[in-house]
Amino acid sequence: MSYYFAIIGTQDNPLFEYEFGTSKQGGDGQARFSEQARHLNQFILHSSLDIVEEVQWTNGQLYLKVIDKFFNNWVSCFLTGGNVKFLLLHQPPAPVGGAGSSTRNSTSVGANPTSPQTEEAIKNFFNEVYDNYVKAIMSPFYKVNMEIRSPVFRARVAAAGRKYL
Amino acid sequence: MQRPEDAHLNSEVQPLPLAASASSLNTNLRLQKARHTLPPDAHPLAQSEASLPSTTLPFRDRRSNPPGAAAASLFRSTLIGGATPPGSPRSASPARSPARTSTTPTPLTGSIFGGAGPFSKQSLLDTDAVGNPGDPLNLILKSFVPHVAIHASEDADGLVREKGFAGGLWELLRPFGERVQGKVSIRDSNGVARSWEDFTVRFTRFGADAAEEPEPFIGGGGGTVAAAAANGQSVRVAGDSLIAQVETVVERHLRYAEEAHVATTAMTALPSPTTTMSTTRERGLDSNATSPYYALYLRRLLSGIPLACHESFAHPVACVMAISSRNQAPIEALHRLYKETTQGERRLPVWVDGDYLRYYVLIHDEENGDITKSMALFDQMKRNFGLHCHMLRLRSSQSAETDDDSIPLPRSDWMTPSEELADIEESDTREDFEDPTRYIFESDATAIRTFVREMVTQSVVPTMERSVSVWNDQVASRRRGISGRFMSLSKRWAFGSSSRSSSGGPASSSSNYDVRGFYRPDSPEAIMRRLADFAFMLRDWKLAMSTYDLLRTDFQNDKAWKYHAAANEMAALALLIMPQNMSSKTRIETINQMLEQAFYSYYTRCNSLYGAVRCIVLALELLRLRGGSGIDEAVRWGIRLLESSLMGTVGDALLKERMAICYASKQGAGSQAWGSRRRKSALWSVLSAEAWVTQAKYVQAQKCLNEARKMYALLPGECGVQNFAVASDFLAHLNDQVKEGLGLGMAWRDHMGDEHAEPELLVDEESETLDNRRSRRTSIINPVGGGSAGLESAPLNPLKPVEDGSDTSRKDGFG
Repeated sequence: MSYYFAIIGTQDNPLFEYEFGTSKQGGDGQARFSEQARHLNQFILHSSLDIVEEVQWTNGQLYLKVIDKFFNNWVSCFLTGGNVKFLLLHQPPAPVGGAGSSTRNSTSVGANPTSPQTEEAIKNFFNEVYDNYVKAIMSPFYKVNMEIRSPVFRARVAAAGRKYL
Repeated sequence: MQRPEDAHLNSEVQPLPLAASASSLNTNLRLQKARHTLPPDAHPLAQSEASLPSTTLPFRDRRSNPPGAAAASLFRSTLIGGATPPGSPRSASPARSPARTSTTPTPLTGSIFGGAGPFSKQSLLDTDAVGNPGDPLNLILKSFVPHVAIHASEDADGLVREKGFAGGLWELLRPFGERVQGKVSIRDSNGVARSWEDFTVRFTRFGADAAEEPEPFIGGGGGTVAAAAANGQSVRVAGDSLIAQVETVVERHLRYAEEAHVATTAMTALPSPTTTMSTTRERGLDSNATSPYYALYLRRLLSGIPLACHESFAHPVACVMAISSRNQAPIEALHRLYKETTQGERRLPVWVDGDYLRYYVLIHDEENGDITKSMALFDQMKRNFGLHCHMLRLRSSQSAETDDDSIPLPRSDWMTPSEELADIEESDTREDFEDPTRYIFESDATAIRTFVREMVTQSVVPTMERSVSVWNDQVASRRRGISGRFMSLSKRWAFGSSSRSSSGGPASSSSNYDVRGFYRPDSPEAIMRRLADFAFMLRDWKLAMSTYDLLRTDFQNDKAWKYHAAANEMAALALLIMPQNMSSKTRIETINQMLEQAFYSYYTRCNSLYGAVRCIVLALELLRLRGGSGIDEAVRWGIRLLESSLMGTVGDALLKERMAICYASKQGAGSQAWGSRRRKSALWSVLSAEAWVTQAKYVQAQKCLNEARKMYALLPGECGVQNFAVASDFLAHLNDQVKEGLGLGMAWRDHMGDEHAEPELLVDEESETLDNRRSRRTSIINPVGGGSAGLESAPLNPLKPVEDGSDTSRKDGFG
C-alpha cells in the first residue's frame, strides 16, 4: 500500500506533497510507487479536482471519502473551510504476490480502499493533519496559497501517516 | 405506400432510354446537392474529378519511395486537408459540436451536475450526431444493416470484369449499397411509417465470408470454458486476427501520415511563402480536430462483422442472383444459381436460415446485346420467378478517366480490414501499383442506383417488414403474454429440479440448444433472434429491445453463452438508442448490468475478443452521447477495456484519446463550470500523447498535447499541472520528445522559423474561444515560442522552482 498525500490550494497549486507507505502489517513506511508512475500520481490528483468540485456540493461534510478511482488508484478527499483540499491517493499493492501475501493484505487497512475501516483510518489521518495544518497556517508569515515548508508540519504528517495508515 | 406490384410494373413499362437516364441523372445530382448539407463533392457518386486530392499528392512524389500518388488514394480516408474524401470519417469532435454547446446548461438541481444529459428523453437518432459521417452513432447505424449476398453467374461476372472490375458484379455494386438513393420508408411493428434518408445495405459475396464456427457444447456449466479452451481455438484466433488486422490497418494509416508530415515539412522548407502558409494552416487545423483514425478503427472493426451463429446481422437478408444477356440458357442458369445457394458447396452453414429472399437480376449488355431479346427474356423471368426481378442495363466497355461522361467510382467505405490490408501491402510491394480508382459511365451509375433503390424499397424492406410482423405475431407475442411466461417456466421446470441442478443446460431434452453449439434456424430462439436483429436493422428499437430482453433469459437458462452475450450487447445498445422514459439512474443500472453480462460472457466464458471489444466500444460511444452521468460510465467502461488489454497498442492509444473527448464533452454548470471534466480530459490527452510517443507517432502525439494544453488553459486557475513539479517536467519532456520526433525530417532546417508560425495560430484560436482571463494563459498556450516560463521552457530541470511566488515565500522563512 502506497500513499501520496497532497494539499492543494485554491489555484490548483500544491501547497504540500508527501509520499509514504503503510506502516501497518509490517510495512516499512516507504512508498512503493514505480519511478514512472510518480508523475502520474500528480496528474491523477490534479484530475480528481474535477470530481471534488462536483462532489463538494452534494454533502456538508468536510471528509468526502473516496471520490475517484483511476485504474488501481483511489483518491480520498478532505475539504477545509478555506477551499483548500487535502487529497490522498492510495494504491493497494498490485495483486502480483502469491497466495500468502494476498491473505495478509486482505486484513490490512488498505486492501479494500472503500471498506469502512479504511475510510475511518483515512478520516483519522485527515483530521490529525487538519489540526496540524491549522496550526501551521496560523503562522504570521504565512499567506494564502503559499507552499508549506515547515519541517515540523512534515514530521507531524509523517507521524499521522505512521499512526493511522 | 405504393404496392410493390404496381411500382414494379411501372418501372418495367418504362423503356429506360439512355437520354432519359442522362437527364434523370442530372436531376439526381441536383437533388443530392440540394438535399445535403455536405459539400456536393462529398457524395460518393457526385464527386467531381477536380476534387480529388491532387493537392495533397505531390508530397508523396518528393520521396524516393515508389508508391507515389496511387497509394495516396488508399489512405484517403484519413488524409487531412485537400479534398474531402467520399464519405470520409470527418473529424468527430463532439466537444465542439454546435448542438452540444448551444444547449442550455443543465440546472444545478441534482446531486450530481447534469445528472440527466440534454438528450435524456430523446431517441439518440433525433440528435445531430446522426448526420455526421464520422460519428460513431452514424457508424453503428450503417454497420448493422441488411446484408445482401451477390451470387452472379460466370457470364455476368465476366461482363463486369470487362468494365475493369476484377471482383465482378459485387465490386461494382458495393459502393452503391452504401447509400440508397432517396428516402426509404419503413413501417415499425405498430404500423407507423418513418422514412430514413440514410438507409444502407451491405453487399457481400455469396459464400465468401469465413464463417465463425459454433463451439460444440461439452458438458454443462463450467464445461463451456473448457470447451472454449479446447475447441474454441479457431474461433479465438479468428476474432483475434480481426482485431489485429484492424490495428495493422490503422497503424499503416498513421505511418503514412507520419511520412506525409515529414514530406510536408520538407516541402514547406522551400522558399515559397504561400505553401508555407497553407500547410501551417492545415496543421493548425488538424491539431484542432479529433483524429479520423478512431473513426477508421471503428469502421474497420464493424465492417468485419463475422458470419456467426449467435447473431444474424451478417446472415444474408436477400441474395441477388445475376445473369447476363450473353447467357445461352438463362433460365437454367438461374435455376442452377438457386440450387447452388441451397445445396452447393458454397452454401451457408446449417445455422443460417436458408429461407431468405432471392432477387433475380438480368444484366443487359447495352453495347452488344439485343434489347428486344433481353426484354423477352426478362418477361420470361418474371413469369418464372415472380416479381423480385430487375433488368440492369450496363455498358460493357471500360470507362476511362478521360471520357466525358465518366465518374469515379469511390472505393467502398466498408472494406473489411483484410481487404484493405491486402491493398496496402500490394501498394508497398509492387513498383507499378496503379491508382485503384475505377471509372464508370454516368448512365451505368444511374442504372445501378435505380436498381439498388428499387430492390431495397420494393423487395428487401417489405420482405423484412413482413417477416418481422409474422415472427412477432407467431413466435414472440406468444412468449410475451402471461401464458408464454408460464410456458417457458414449465419448460424449465418440467423435468424437475434435478435436471436443472445437474448442470441443466442443453442436455435436457426441453432445450432447443443444439449440442453442436447453436440453435437450429427453425427453433423459436433463433427466429426471435432474427426478429430482433431485423427490427434493429429496420430501426424499430422498441421491438428489438423487448425481444432481446426476452432472449437474454432464455439463453442464460440454456447456458448458450455466446448467444447470451450477443443478446445482452444488442439489448444494451437498443436501450441506449431508443427514447428514454426511465430515470437516468435505473437506466444506467440496467445498462450496466447488461453490459457487464455481455462483457463477461464474451470475454471470460467464450473468449471472444472481438465481441468484447465491439460491445464495450459501441456502448461507450452511446453512453457518451447520452451525456450527464453517462459520460462517467462511458469512461469507466473504457478503463475496463484498457485494463483487460484486449486491444493492441494502437487501439489503446486511440481509446485514451477517445476518453479525453468523452470527458471534454461533459458540460459544467455555472461560470466555474462545476461538474465539467476538463482536468480529466487533459489527463487522458496526456496519456494518449505518451502512448503515441512510445509508438513514434509524433503527429498524433502533438495533437493530443495541444488538446491537453487547451484544456488546461480553460481551467479556472489556468495553470494546469504547471505547479506540480514532476508532472510538468514530464509534460515538458514529452513535448521535447514530440518536437524532436517531428523535427527528424527537417533537421537541417532553421528551427525558429517553423516554430514561430505555429503557436501564433494556436493563440489566435485560443483567444476566440477563451473568455477574458488573466494573461497568464499565454504562458501555457505559447509554450514553443521561447522565453515565457511555460511548461516546456523549463525542461529537464526538476530542481528549478516553478512558481513565481516561490522566492518570496522562501524569504519568509516559514518553517
